[in-house]
Amino acid sequence: MAPLVPSQEELQRRRIIGINPETVTNIPSTDFPGHWPGESHEWALDTFKNGFQVEFHRNDRFESSFSLIGLDAAVANAFRRILMAEIPTIAIEDCFIHNNTSVIQDEVLASRLGLIPLKGSVEGINWMHWVKKESDDEPGSGACDFNTIVLRLDVECYKNEYADKDEQDPRKLYTNAHVYAKDLMFHPVGRQEDFFVGDGAIAPVNPDILIAKLRPGQKIEMELHCVKGIGADHAKFSPVATASYRLLPDIKIERPIIGEDARKFAKCFPKGVIGLEPVTAAEAARSGSGYEGHAGEQKAVVKDAFKDTVSRECLRYDEFQGKVKLGRVRDHFIFNVESTGQFESDVLFLEAVKVLKFKCARWKRGLTDLMA
Amino acid sequence: MSREAYQVPSMGAQTAFDTQGGYGSAMNVDSPSVVYLCGECSARVPLKRGDQIRCKDCGHRVLYKERTKRMVQFQAR
Repeated sequence: MAPLVPSQEELQRRRIIGINPETVTNIPSTDFPGHWPGESHEWALDTFKNGFQVEFHRNDRFESSFSLIGLDAAVANAFRRILMAEIPTIAIEDCFIHNNTSVIQDEVLASRLGLIPLKGSVEGINWMHWVKKESDDEPGSGACDFNTIVLRLDVECYKNEYADKDEQDPRKLYTNAHVYAKDLMFHPVGRQEDFFVGDGAIAPVNPDILIAKLRPGQKIEMELHCVKGIGADHAKFSPVATASYRLLPDIKIERPIIGEDARKFAKCFPKGVIGLEPVTAAEAARSGSGYEGHAGEQKAVVKDAFKDTVSRECLRYDEFQGKVKLGRVRDHFIFNVESTGQFESDVLFLEAVKVLKFKCARWKRGLTDLMA
Repeated sequence: MSREAYQVPSMGAQTAFDTQGGYGSAMNVDSPSVVYLCGECSARVPLKRGDQIRCKDCGHRVLYKERTKRMVQFQAR
């Protein structure tokens, strides 16, 4: 017996998550075998390929927003989690403090330095190996040119003799009163000189991050070792400031909202979501449409549901009761990826795909070993 | 234990911290001087054994020890 094929309207209805004043309905996806009697929901690569879509909304260097349409929440969430926790980057890990007479304590200073995002040649970062932490059983890998990057921070504050007598600004009164991320000096070792040259040199992404404040006679002198790591280990290794997704909002106006109500309705949503259009003569002439005798008045129409925040404000008013249905599209994920500056944001997503592929391959290998 | 286990630098006999060298036999005249910081004017005050504890510039009587010259290691976590 051939499997039943649900109608397009039915499929569309199943895609929408219902959002009510107090509850959310129809949450889990049902497109798997055995849920709908008689229907086949077998997963097939061709069906997925035909249904899958990617749309870019913005693609700046360090921030991108795009939609992935037609995939399961599990996969979309896997990408989000991989983006945050499993793409390797470089960050300061060990601080060797030779001198620190500033008011900021050694451990606090070390922790601050760790969180500074560093950039450098992507090729070089990919070339770098993991550093193996020593344990009780095994010795560590030690610091080598292929796993450790050395930065130095050497600043001393002293009085500026040429400063004006009445000067109040400590930055003019003293030299090096403020220590910034740009004071971190990169010292390439061995093959690092070939990889991290010119623009590819290791440097803080934001040169104006304030690290500490000094006064004359105070001094910071330290050596910093940067290693490769992943966000799951520590947030400083995370390549993204945020990587999140939301589902595409869906607004259905089920019964006409006209005149003053329409203006009030539009105010319940962010700008540009609801538009006002005059009721046409044809609509007014059709009986049962709800527009009878309202020709020329303003009616509310959904212009761009994408911009909605799904605040549910419109559900609070009696006049809109039963006239509007809010929802979200279950398989339309609007991603927003903001890079901390090591990688470009669109490359980051591709890296996430690569990591997921790699994990799948490992899983597959594990299965083959299990069968053998 | 540690791969970069810290080695205490041999500071020689001229420091006051060297137990075998200076301090025990510090009764002699050229005893080592230790630098302190004045609590009032932050001046560097070298003091020898038996010296009056007093800043040479401002006469303040509270002096502080300098920070250790040893390297301190922290994890940036």
